[in-house]
Amino acid sequence: MTESADRLGASAGHGVKSRLAAIGANHYFLTAISAIIFIVIWQIVSMNVPPIILPSPANVAAAFVELTASGELVRATGQTVWPFAVGLSVAFVIGTSLGLVLGIFRPAARILDPYIFVFWSIPNIAWLPLFIAWFGVGQLTLIVFVFVSAVFPQLLTVEAGAKEADSFLVEVARSLGGTKHEILRLVVLPSALPYIFAGLRIAVGRALVGIIVGQLLIVATGIGYMFQFYGETLSLAKYFAPLIVIAALAVALNRAVNWAEHVLIPWKPRAFS
Amino acid sequence: MPELEFINVRKSYKSPTGENLLAIADFSLKVDGGRFVSVVGPSGCGKTTLLRMAAGLIPCESGQIRLDGAGLTGPSPKMSMVFQAIGLMPWKNVASNVALGIQLQAHRRKLVPEEADLVAATLVMVGLKGFEHYYPYQLSGGMQQRVGLARALVRQPEILLMDEPFGALDAQTRAVMQDELLTLWDRAKSTVLFITHDLDEAIYLSDRVVIMGRRPGRIKQVLEVKLRRPRYSYDVRAEAEFAHLRSVAWQSIKEEL
Repeated sequence: MTESADRLGASAGHGVKSRLAAIGANHYFLTAISAIIFIVIWQIVSMNVPPIILPSPANVAAAFVELTASGELVRATGQTVWPFAVGLSVAFVIGTSLGLVLGIFRPAARILDPYIFVFWSIPNIAWLPLFIAWFGVGQLTLIVFVFVSAVFPQLLTVEAGAKEADSFLVEVARSLGGTKHEILRLVVLPSALPYIFAGLRIAVGRALVGIIVGQLLIVATGIGYMFQFYGETLSLAKYFAPLIVIAALAVALNRAVNWAEHVLIPWKPRAFS
Repeated sequence: MPELEFINVRKSYKSPTGENLLAIADFSLKVDGGRFVSVVGPSGCGKTTLLRMAAGLIPCESGQIRLDGAGLTGPSPKMSMVFQAIGLMPWKNVASNVALGIQLQAHRRKLVPEEADLVAATLVMVGLKGFEHYYPYQLSGGMQQRVGLARALVRQPEILLMDEPFGALDAQTRAVMQDELLTLWDRAKSTVLFITHDLDEAIYLSDRVVIMGRRPGRIKQVLEVKLRRPRYSYDVRAEAEFAHLRSVAWQSIKEEL
């Protein structure tokens, strides 16, 4: 039925246009096209520069397979994901709950906000030597560093969200007889939910930076160390393998957050899809 | 029948420059049980302040508000308020927003089956059957206010407080909602205190129209509306009595503008 209608449209003369529109609507197709164009351009550029500057896509793919087969890449990914996940999870839980408390209970915020602001303002790399002195050169330092990188954006965003709860909706809930506890659960918490996700999105990015910097500069394990090693030995084809893993991890995490947000916040009209 | 009584109620605000602004002065009014009473007045005369005090949302400065003879200390489960800005929870669908009226009254997370039936019946009553799972942003302004009305009515209130509930609606929707409110009121027979700046609306709906003067807010005149009910059954606005009341009310308000 639709097929014949399409063919009818094609014979009527605006088939190409409508078919292009249909293809454009399929964003997987657009993504694939853009990936192919990207790889072709990469191939062309790599053929015109020495391999020490930019290896070809095929060489990178071969190095990726080799490093995966030898187990090195898998092991490094594990060493990176584990402290990353622990640090980020703790940062998410503490950042979200403390952010809610500070957003709702303002006297506490007036006491703690200055410290939080100072900690947040210090470039987190400056903490590293101190953390090494306190926690040694090991997993714990990495976890603490990831935590410190991620907890502040989570905390501050959630605090802002809880503070922004609509005072009119609070009054409506009060007029219906809502107690303080009910108002927190039924008005403040749901209105802070979009902020919890906004904070998480920033926290994920900062935590990724944290784990790579930590492994690159101190603990010399995992993906971060692969960057350091293959960068310094100028084995660029192999250098790209952990880069792909990190990019894939970042994209996957972002997708996961988007998906969770979509499922948990179905009430928001979306301006763009 | 439940009645609401204001006794020498007074309320002032601090202005931005720090002076005391008297918003309501010595306001006394008895809303008899089962009656529909409207309060009209120019903007800034303290109508909304009055209603928020009646809802127990803000305290009186002096004087007292009595509900069935007992002094009011805060929001009461016997009352429901309907707001001009409606105030639906954007994250709850229509049915859950209406259920909130019961949940916060009973302080329970879950509704018992009879209460769930009541929610469903109330949604039918306000013409929202089939929209249970819609979110507020998916509804028109008129439909959103139907949800607001359902959330108030599902509590089976003895007193319904309405703060310009149809003020943000277009003229046609407003006329339809006024008729539906009267139909619902015929059934529920609760006491209604209705705030509006629309004289026609006040006369059309009410047994009694209270005209307020401003600075400070006080009662200027009270009009009894004896037009026959049910008023949606004939063209009440064409009655000579209607025109007369409107003219009297308008003269009275004009002096306050």
